[in-house]
Amino acid sequence: MITGNRFHTLIYSKNGPVATISLNRPEVVNAYNVKMRDELFQLLQAIDIDDDVKIVVIRGNGKKGFCAGADLTEFGTAPSQIIARQARWDRDIWGAFRNLDKPIVGALHGWVIGLGVEIACFCDIRIASEDALFSLPEVALGMIPAAGGTQTIPRSIGSSRALKMILTNQKLDAITALDMGLVHKIVTKEVLLDEAYKIAQQLADQDEAVLALSKKSIKEGMNLPLNSALSYESRLFSKLLSSRLSDRE
Amino acid sequence: MSELPLHVEINKHVACIYFSRSSSDNGINANFAEELRGAIDCLEHNDQIRVLLITGSGGSFCVGTDFGSLNQNSIETFKSLKISDFVAGFSKPVIAVLNGKALDQGLETALACDFRLAAEGAKLGLQQVSNGLIPWDGGTQRLPRLVGESRAIEIILSGRLIDVDEAQSIGLVDDVFLTDELMDGAMSLAEIIAGHGPIAARYVKEAIKTGQDMSLDNGLRLEADLNILLQSTSDRSEGIQSFLEKRKPIFRGN
Repeated sequence: MITGNRFHTLIYSKNGPVATISLNRPEVVNAYNVKMRDELFQLLQAIDIDDDVKIVVIRGNGKKGFCAGADLTEFGTAPSQIIARQARWDRDIWGAFRNLDKPIVGALHGWVIGLGVEIACFCDIRIASEDALFSLPEVALGMIPAAGGTQTIPRSIGSSRALKMILTNQKLDAITALDMGLVHKIVTKEVLLDEAYKIAQQLADQDEAVLALSKKSIKEGMNLPLNSALSYESRLFSKLLSSRLSDRE
Repeated sequence: MSELPLHVEINKHVACIYFSRSSSDNGINANFAEELRGAIDCLEHNDQIRVLLITGSGGSFCVGTDFGSLNQNSIETFKSLKISDFVAGFSKPVIAVLNGKALDQGLETALACDFRLAAEGAKLGLQQVSNGLIPWDGGTQRLPRLVGESRAIEIILSGRLIDVDEAQSIGLVDDVFLTDELMDGAMSLAEIIAGHGPIAARYVKEAIKTGQDMSLDNGLRLEADLNILLQSTSDRSEGIQSFLEKRKPIFRGN
């Protein structure tokens, strides 16, 4: 199992059932580059099959913020669009986030920009410190959010608010982000991590299968018409119940 | 002598459609609907235009369909009056600027826009039920997607008027301005958008709007393909270059 600092752009640690991923390029406010993508992809796959880990906390190192977005100094180095498309799915980092059954808690501080917002939106629970500042500058730079943001952000805050935020490069402070549902809780900077671990611990005290099934039922159910989604929920529930009954025997 | 139902002003990359049947509080009749569809089609194909504002002249945005001018309320008549799908189908960002009452089909038209700004005294509502009709230009579908199913049912069944404070708190409008400042506020937001990458703005709209009807997985595929398609544009290179050189980008729309 991966422990310690064999990564260059991340720090990974485990404390009982709670694993922590720290984005660790503080000199550039944890800007996401190809190296970070490769390391995160490797790490998420390892976490997925690590039975010791029940909950994941993700945070950013350094005072300035969680993540300032994609590292644009590496842009324009991509080969052809054909190869870029293949690379997108060869290492489907956003699929790895989305498909993780274990709950992810995001602890967000300072700059949460561009791809930083998009990583946050793959977190099931998002806590921000009062100094957090959110924005999506992609369209202002001739790009679109492409780490799932065009899909995950409207599903969190609604498509009108998402469009306004992205089209106008609107900057949201923590309170506005809370009002819109982009984050679920605000705390002071000093207690951000304590609060994240408190929530992680509460989740870790719950039955793992129940957490995974709840998450699955909601996420998959949202893709279905209501009737089919209700049948899906019933199927998951029956499965859970029969495993409970056989545990008791 | 009949007044023109609408007029269009163009200021560089920003187009503004003014509803101008102010004698009837901008009620929609067949001529109005036809003119609006034509104007939208024309602006769609005008490459200079990057953002569209829709607002009302006089004290109202639009009070809905002008039934007074209809000879017969057949299905064909209603079809000839439909406009919301044309507004929603516009590929560039569209902002509704609600300068006053936005009722019935007027609100349905605003719901088809990407987001909505309102003057502080504006009132919103879908009151078709009290005339023995249901909202028929998208209201029963777009309102619940915006404010949630329960609120939408309550609003449509009661037919009550919603003030801007409530509208803002439920997400029906995104920003509220003093009446005198509404148009300037709308124009400056439009100019901000017009200064951003125009192809990126269209693609982000497509990804969000089309993605709403897709499973998340399919939405992610659409996003990825549009993103990779954008890599072929010179605007994207200009955006990155301008960021690295710490200057404002100049987008050409190619």
